Amino acid sequence: MLKFPKSVLLATAAIAFSGGSVLASGDIDAGEKVFKKCMACHMVGDGAKHRVGPELNDVFGRVAGSLDDFKYSPAMKEAGAGGLVWGADTLATYLHKPKDMIPKTKMAFAGLKKEADIENVLAYLASFSAGADMDTAEPESTPTAEETAEQTAPTPALQNADYEPSTGPMGLGRVALPEEIAAWDIDIRPDGMGLPAGKGTVAEGEVVFTERCATCHGDFGEGRDRWPVLAGGQDTLTDERPEKTIGSYWPYLSTVYDYVRRAMPFGDARSLTNDEVYAITAYLLYLNDIVTDEAFELNSENFTDIHLPNEENFIADDRQEEPHWKADADPCMTDCKAEPAKITMRARVLDVTPDSDEGEGGGQVD
Amino acid sequence: MSERDQGVKNPSRRALLRGGLAGGGAALMAGLTAGKSIAAGDPAITDIQDWNRYLGDGVDAAPYGMPSEFEADVVRRNVAWLTADTTSSINFTPLHALDGIITPNGVCFERHHGGVAEVDPMQHRLMIHGLVEQPLVFTMQDLMRFPRQNHAYFLECAANSGMEWRGAQLNGCQFTHGMVHNVVYTGVPLRALLEEAGVKTDGKWLLAEGADAAAMTRSIPMEKVLDDCLVAFKMNGEALRPEQGYPVRLVVPGWEGNMWVKWLRRLEVGDKPWHQREETSKYTDLLANGKARRFTWVMDVKSVITSPSPQAPITHGKGRTVVTGLAWSGNGTIKDVDVTLDGGRNWHKARIDGPSLSKSLHRFYYEFDWDGSELFLQSRAIDELGNVQPTKDALRAARGENSIYHNNGIQTWYVRADGVTENVEIS
Repeated sequence: MLKFPKSVLLATAAIAFSGGSVLASGDIDAGEKVFKKCMACHMVGDGAKHRVGPELNDVFGRVAGSLDDFKYSPAMKEAGAGGLVWGADTLATYLHKPKDMIPKTKMAFAGLKKEADIENVLAYLASFSAGADMDTAEPESTPTAEETAEQTAPTPALQNADYEPSTGPMGLGRVALPEEIAAWDIDIRPDGMGLPAGKGTVAEGEVVFTERCATCHGDFGEGRDRWPVLAGGQDTLTDERPEKTIGSYWPYLSTVYDYVRRAMPFGDARSLTNDEVYAITAYLLYLNDIVTDEAFELNSENFTDIHLPNEENFIADDRQEEPHWKADADPCMTDCKAEPAKITMRARVLDVTPDSDEGEGGGQVD
Repeated sequence: MSERDQGVKNPSRRALLRGGLAGGGAALMAGLTAGKSIAAGDPAITDIQDWNRYLGDGVDAAPYGMPSEFEADVVRRNVAWLTADTTSSINFTPLHALDGIITPNGVCFERHHGGVAEVDPMQHRLMIHGLVEQPLVFTMQDLMRFPRQNHAYFLECAANSGMEWRGAQLNGCQFTHGMVHNVVYTGVPLRALLEEAGVKTDGKWLLAEGADAAAMTRSIPMEKVLDDCLVAFKMNGEALRPEQGYPVRLVVPGWEGNMWVKWLRRLEVGDKPWHQREETSKYTDLLANGKARRFTWVMDVKSVITSPSPQAPITHGKGRTVVTGLAWSGNGTIKDVDVTLDGGRNWHKARIDGPSLSKSLHRFYYEFDWDGSELFLQSRAIDELGNVQPTKDALRAARGENSIYHNNGIQTWYVRADGVTENVEIS
């Protein structure tokens, strides 16, 4: 999968950039895992293309903001014009806290907290860069017996004896500590159960949203590419092409808070503070015209007072009431249709099947 | 790995689709029937083949075995235009190339909302809390000390066939019906875990949560939880594949696949449902009148002919022909499958072969002498409750075309005289 096999990396004459030591300590395989945080926006390797962010082949030695066919932020282009060249040191600084280095970058990523993650991901990226310091790839030494044992020996199982044992019928498992439940119990219900203390205004939300959400969802929740549209679509549910958004479709505001907190930003989940989630939620209400005052503050006290417009339009599963289910359970077997079958529609007309000269079809997976 | 990747790009299937008997199928037939070959005998017999003379690989050449290189085309495929990114997307089981009722682990369709979580089983915990007598934490080792059960169940995404609501769109049952797989799960009843924790009397719902980057969550009513749900750690005898939730997933037999939370780490007992994103914004079924059904959990009775189908055209010409397919129902077993060759004017009872298990795929066959004229193939399943698989038109009349989910309508394949097969809708 690597553009340059490790052996080639070792053999190739190095164009030394500063900061070879950062690279030398990185682990390419570990870096590949860290890179998953980046994959929602960046591609690297064979066939890498621009996505939300630029492709990262040969990023080492690249002048910042210099690819003609990618739309950078003006700030990134300025940085490049000012002499910023990506290398181990500059990338390490940038990846630690992108906005500290280039405050107006459009990269919505908060940064990698762990130094080891930065070293590893840089080693991984360097393996796709001809211009990287070739000290990157250390020879893989044969592990000692102790190291092998360390790697293969299972981590000792949680010692249930250290905790209060289950008093259930099987006596299996152990009692969860309140701190442990608090760490994982982040779900919120429409009645407000689970809402954390906190607050955030529409105006604050706009700032966070622009920084953390807009690269995919658009500045006004209009959705870029095929990322979800979050706002608009009111009164379209009976249209031929309904637009299902928070404002037009979602029944409960609690779902917005819950989902943003558990899963957003995509690829960097759990990185928002509770107040930031309140602010983003408030901003989404604003984008959907459910609140109109930019000074509006959403908080744990007023949260359940707010109802989304489409709440009443959800009904229970009544599929069994449909006429076709009342049909005879002993269906017709012979002479069931008067006329021979005629084709009314063909998939090949659309020709959206993969491996064909593929176009884009309609519809959603969920 | 690379051989299989290349196999995806193998043009033979498209050649078959496009050119029919002028493509690969015709070449095969020509090899068998050309006059010259007949005179000299079939070289497949008269020549000594390499594999008949030279030694093959010894043991250990493939410590974990892979299919023959000639099966490299039998792989999962995605539909790139459906989603924004492969880390929150779906691919499809190659149903057209499989037989029997069990789906091999490596081709079970995948659907992730935050990529495949690579969970270290030693660092994995399953917590039960909420309205229980004692909140508990289990390690994988703890889970495996509960009494185990084995069951074959189908898992179908609620959006299977969802792209076909407006009409025939994708040429291949892999794409129209491939969001389903069927494996034997080994696991422990969810009921046993809840009995260990002790559910309080007002505990009516369970929230299941995954450990992945989407922290997938669904609310499940307690009656279902206590009925037949499993917490599974094996599929077809081996550990769950990472893309199927390794080390542990929820099994919710007969109900939509999104509820089968993978990388299961948390179970919270409550008195009301949570109305999570995947049960409000998604997995709710918008009707023509603007209302939307929610909590549409059961997967209705459904069937599809897997061969012939657009990716598996008839290449042998007229004469003995095997029609085969799959049928399933979230209500239990399949009682009958009917097959029509003329677009529903006349139906024939198909033969169900192999195990008939509740909430599992059923395999059916219908063998006949093809006279070489065009066919409109359909299958129609009837489940143990007597529910009859409806037509797509009946579903559209009842729901409109924007439901996305729960499209279990009857599928039509048009087989041309040259054997090429297409996805069509008919009058």
